[in-house]
Amino acid sequence: MRFNEKELVCLSRQPSEMAAELGMRGPKKGDVVKKRLVKLVVNFLFYFRTDEEEPIGALLLEQCRVEREDTQTFSIAFLDEAERKYLFECDSEEQCKDWIDSIIKASYEFMRRNLIFYRTEIHRLTGKDPLEQYGISDETRFQGNSGSQLVARDTSSL
Amino acid sequence: MKLNERSVAHYATCDSPPDQTGFLFKKGERNTAYHRRWFILKGNMLFYFEERESREPIGVIVLEGCTVELCESAEEFAFAIKFDCAKARVYKLAAESQTAMESWVKALSRASFDYMRLVVKELERQLAEIQDAAGAGGHQGRPKPSRRNQVARSRSGASSSSSSASCLSSSASVPSMTAVYSAQKSLQDEVQLISGSFKENGVTWSKPPAASANGSVDTAPSCVTWDVCTDSGVATGCGGDGGRAPPVPPRRLGASLESPVSPDTGCFSKLHDWYGREVEELRAQWLQSQ
Repeated sequence: MRFNEKELVCLSRQPSEMAAELGMRGPKKGDVVKKRLVKLVVNFLFYFRTDEEEPIGALLLEQCRVEREDTQTFSIAFLDEAERKYLFECDSEEQCKDWIDSIIKASYEFMRRNLIFYRTEIHRLTGKDPLEQYGISDETRFQGNSGSQLVARDTSSL
Repeated sequence: MKLNERSVAHYATCDSPPDQTGFLFKKGERNTAYHRRWFILKGNMLFYFEERESREPIGVIVLEGCTVELCESAEEFAFAIKFDCAKARVYKLAAESQTAMESWVKALSRASFDYMRLVVKELERQLAEIQDAAGAGGHQGRPKPSRRNQVARSRSGASSSSSSASCLSSSASVPSMTAVYSAQKSLQDEVQLISGSFKENGVTWSKPPAASANGSVDTAPSCVTWDVCTDSGVATGCGGDGGRAPPVPPRRLGASLESPVSPDTGCFSKLHDWYGREVEELRAQWLQSQ
């Protein structure tokens, strides 16, 4: 499958709040732990050889499961091949927790669910669709599960 | 550079609903003719297939950081996806009608992760303000259980409802109702922020403090119904058996949950974390049951 590699490499250079040297092990049998600079940018996890400019690889963090393996280790597995796990060894329990937390939140689909929740909740409390004033109420990406749109409510009922 | 291509391709075709689909003409790289392809936009990824029925995409364009422009072209209804990076390729596309073109341009220009993040943060902030303000009319200190039971938990359409009374009643501060109105006004100011372009890149989820003394356990029937099944795709059985969806997570009515609210922090960062974890747990549970 083709992908726009140059642009992805460019993306890997953007500032990130989560970047650290971790021990990383690939999912294949026989893969060993290697020290990698792991960097989280939007919904991609890039991994570099320390001090190299270009990443060795990237993992798109959609449709994945992040799990705590032990106190300092977490894994990422993709739902289409759930037995293949990428392992990451951290320096501390806290660092491990931070990474797990960040990766869970680094998914577009995760954000979408939150948005739908907030939108619905604001509408419930105020009778108004908060996206209306930005003119983005009808965008498919902001619709709830059934695709139904929020119906304006008479605020005098509140 | 390696990419988890199989899983990326899987994201394209799994159950999570796409943001936009349709036929577009795509200009080839070497062969500069326009080829008609089936496109699927999901999140910040634009996949293209040889045919609508194809099971695997030919390719994907990661849209993060791109701009979308109409372009001068012999081809009608043409537009381009451009990137602000050295030697980036320009992707030239053409729709089959004016309406389709406009619809795609709009959808693609709002497809970035950064944009979604901005909107989420804005709504998160709004909700916090609304609830802080509403807290003024609610309890101060410990709520009575009976109040909790009276909280309307209406389901409207596809919405998930949560007992936000937990946030309201636990909120220690008591701002005046005018806070709501100032929130409205600052929203106007925020319009520019969202509809314009932005460069915000940082993720600033505030860390929740250590769980505060939990006398507040009984305040939190934080029941949430996440539509985790078809919508999220994450929890759907995309491992080849696309038909099954996981159960909708049960509404939690018990008082045994840790309250997602702490008086030390805006309750949303904690709520946010809590939901993330809940989804994760449910997902794990469901996967285990497969």
